[in-house]
Parts: sequence; C-alpha cells; structure tokens
Amino acid sequence: MSTSTVTRRRADAGIAIIVAVVVVATLARPLIHDLVARPAVANFATVFVAIVLQAVPFLALGITVSAAIATFVPPGLLPRVLPKRPELAVPVAAVVGAALPGCECGSVPIARRLVDRGAPPAAALSFLLSAPAINPVVLVATSVAFPGRPEMVLARFVASLLAASVVGWVWARLGRDSLLVSRRNAHAHTGSKPSVFLQTAQHDFLTAGGFLIIGAATAALLQTVVPRRVLDSVAGNGILAVVALAALAVIMAICSEADAFIAASLKQFSPTAQLAFMVVGPMVDVKLIALQAGTFSRAFAVRFAPLTLVVATASAALVGSRLL
Amino acid sequence: MKPAAGTLTALVGLLTMRLTVDGSFQRYVRTSMRPWLLIAGVALLALGIVAIAIGIRTPAEPADDDDHGIGVGWLLLVPVVALLLVAPPTLGSFGVDRSTAIRVTAGRSSLPPLAPSDQPIPMTLQEYTERSFDHAGASMRNAVISLTGFVANGATATSFRLARYQISCCAADAAAAVVKVIGFSGSAPPRDQWLTVTGRVSSVEGEDPVLRATTVRDISAPEDPYE
Repeated sequence: MSTSTVTRRRADAGIAIIVAVVVVATLARPLIHDLVARPAVANFATVFVAIVLQAVPFLALGITVSAAIATFVPPGLLPRVLPKRPELAVPVAAVVGAALPGCECGSVPIARRLVDRGAPPAAALSFLLSAPAINPVVLVATSVAFPGRPEMVLARFVASLLAASVVGWVWARLGRDSLLVSRRNAHAHTGSKPSVFLQTAQHDFLTAGGFLIIGAATAALLQTVVPRRVLDSVAGNGILAVVALAALAVIMAICSEADAFIAASLKQFSPTAQLAFMVVGPMVDVKLIALQAGTFSRAFAVRFAPLTLVVATASAALVGSRLL
Repeated sequence: MKPAAGTLTALVGLLTMRLTVDGSFQRYVRTSMRPWLLIAGVALLALGIVAIAIGIRTPAEPADDDDHGIGVGWLLLVPVVALLLVAPPTLGSFGVDRSTAIRVTAGRSSLPPLAPSDQPIPMTLQEYTERSFDHAGASMRNAVISLTGFVANGATATSFRLARYQISCCAADAAAAVVKVIGFSGSAPPRDQWLTVTGRVSSVEGEDPVLRATTVRDISAPEDPYE
C-alpha cells in the first residue's frame, strides 16, 4: 500500500468523524435540550457562543492579513526595514500596531507570521500587545465610553504603548526566542502565491479557531461561576481595586473594542482601576493565553502571560497616578 | 490540504451565515455586527469550499500529517454542533445579579424634560434609570412611560424586578439595568417572562429606580433582546 493511499484514507476518516459527531449529537438532542433548560448552563452556553461569534469577523480579518504577509512579504524584507537594535525595533513595532484595527484574537496569527518572516521576536510581541490595545477603533470606543474625559483615552494610549514596549524590551533581554517557534509552526507553506495564501489562511483558521474555543469556554465558565459581587467587595481599596479589575479583565476575556464600556460601567472602582482593566484586557486574558500557547508554545505562554500581566498592571497604575 | 479541514471551515462559515440571516445572532452580539458576520461567513465558506476542492484533487502528501494536522481545530465542531441542535437562549435572569450593574450617579446632570405625549413613551431601562436618578425623576414627572424587559429574581407580593441587558459588543460584556415595578394587580409574573410595563415614575428605593405600573402585558422575547 502506498503512503498516499494511507493518507487519503486518513483524510476520509476526518470527514467520517465530522459526520459521526453531527449524527450522534442529533440523536442526543433531547438530552442537550434538557441541559440548556438549566439557567446556569444556558448562561454558559450563551456567553460561550457570544464570544466565539463576536470573534469570527476579527479572526477572519486576522487570518487574511496573516496569509497576505506569508504570501507577499519576502522573507528578508522585515529585518531590512525594521531597526537593527531591539531597543528601537520594539517601540517602532508597538506604534505600528496602532494602525491595525481589530481585536486581540486576530493579532496572534499575524504576530506569528511576522516572526516567520524574520521580524525580531521581541518586536513582533510588542506589535501583538499594542495592536488590539491602541488602534483607532478602540480609542474611539474609549472616548465614547468616557464622554468628556479625554484624559482616559490619553492614559489608555500611553499606558498600553508603555506596557507593550516594556514587555518587548524585557523579552529582548531575557526571553528565549526558541520558545516562539514550535515544531508544528516551523513548516513553511510552499507553492504558487494563491496556494500559499489559501494554505496559510486555512491552517491559521483551524489553529486560532480551536484555541479560541478553549479560551471562550474558559471565560464563559468563569463568568458563570464567579459572582461579580466578590470583586465589588474590594472596590474601595486603592491598590486592591487595581489588582481586582486587572484580574477581572483576565477572567472576562471581552473584546478590546467593548472593554471600555464595561470599564466605564464599573463606577464603584477608581479611574486608575478602570484604566488597568482596559490596559490588561487586550494583552492578557484566558482566551489569549490559550491562543498564544497554541500558536507559539505552552512554555512561551507560561512565561509571557505573567510577565505581561505584571507589566501592564504596573504601567496602568503608574500612568493612572500621573494622568487621572 | 485535507478535505476534513475544508469541511470544518465551511461549516463554521455556513453556520455564521445562517445565524446572521435568520436574525438569531442578535441573541449573542450587537445588531450592528450583521454585515461583518455576513462577510466573514461568506469568506470562510468560500475558503472551506476551495480547500475541499483542492484536497480532493491533489492527493495529500505524507508531510501533511505532521505539519497540517487539524489538531485543536477539531474543537470548532463544539459550537457548530451546539448551534445546529439547540440555539442557546438570550441571557436571562440568572445573570442579572452576577453581571455588572448599571450604576448612575445622582444629580450628575440635568436631563431635558420629556415632550408631552398622549401615548406611553417607550424608553430603555437604562434611560429610565438615568432619568430616575436625575433630580428624583423630575424630567419624567407626569409622563406615562413604557418599559420592555424580562422578570428578574427577587419578586415579592407587591413588587417585581424588570431587567434588561445592555451589551456593547457581545453577550459576554452584558450589564443589567433593573427597575422595580410596584402597583400592579394580581400576583407577580413568573421569572424570565418578557413584559411591556407602562406606568409613572416613583421615588427611588434602595439601588433600583421604581415604576408604579398602570398596565402589565406579557410579550414574547423581542428579536433584539438587548438595549
């Protein structure tokens, strides 16, 4: 038996699995129906579907940009264009992030593609953090959510840019770039330009989409079981309030284009705590950690997420104490 | 490329389109997301179909199994199957006391008075809350207001709580506005029942604004359940 027959059989098995899952689930329909009739399960299911659905357009945009980079950016271009020294490349990449309107789910595959194309990893990570945090759509949403308080928009921009740059610099000094390239990602797609584009888009969609599911389910579970009142009880305490809202941002995993409205509605918290919610949210949350672990490697996510959380919270506290 | 990978992608695209076209996407995200969801759905369906076509025509290379395994992508079947079978409902009363509460600072601003009207004036629960806390509801004095929402927990013999969520992006960021309804006849309506209540502003009790009801009418859940 030739190898191609074997793989063809496996490919057919894939379709068979899909059909089997759909058929079994259809048979189990009454069971699932009863389950969703429970309020807590219904709440979980609705929040889960909402996070996934809300991310689909941003994911589609992200994989399109990522596939375009893989197809049209020649491998040597980025190292030539970006400043050689990481001290400079990092802030440049962070500022460039402001040009990409989108949500955090889309920027993970793009950042990986930038690394593939030879961008310094520290710079790609800065881009990854800043793109969802300070793009024009997010800043406009922030100004709408905080009417008459432009200092909130400025504080968000400054604190996010600072956090993205500091994390990039720290990674350039101490990080291990080898963690960014897992075995599965080392493979470059080859062939004609349309073929590379399609393969990259298809591959990135399945990878990012799968981890999005894990992240969305985690966030929906936490939202369903953790009562918000627990967080409200620490609202009055200065530093604890900042830490509490940073933690809430990690748990809730809401879109960076919506988080300003939630921050604004958390009126019992100080402006600095609200700022921490908006700076941390686009950079670290349960959905993003799952995406980063899957796209780069688990060892990477274990180091990168805590580093980012600490730097983003500190940056928000510092900028908030000066500007707000 | 594997046909199975293309099939998964096409399924996600197809389902996104279905939710968008039949309007049920409004249970989960803002109505304004419609065009973006439609574009993304069409794009994913097209990508999936092309991938299936290529996968069928060209025999897969052995390397595909190492480098292009669907792996975690299989998880995309979870929302696909869940949505094909049961559409999760709109957010209900379960989350009202868990979500962020709409809080309004008293006396922050002076809202303009409502224009006089013969008909009850429809209003969002959020606006009602803001107007109630603004100079003890002075801007709504003597007006008959119409509010639409669902019944939250915490009903008593003489009052029940009417709630509605505001969402800014998707149901994950929902925040509930709650209005206490008094002065209705009979017993309190069951939890999660959708209602249109008309009535007049009454003084704020505790955290919630209060409406003294004149009519309470059962309705089915609106197509866009959020404010």
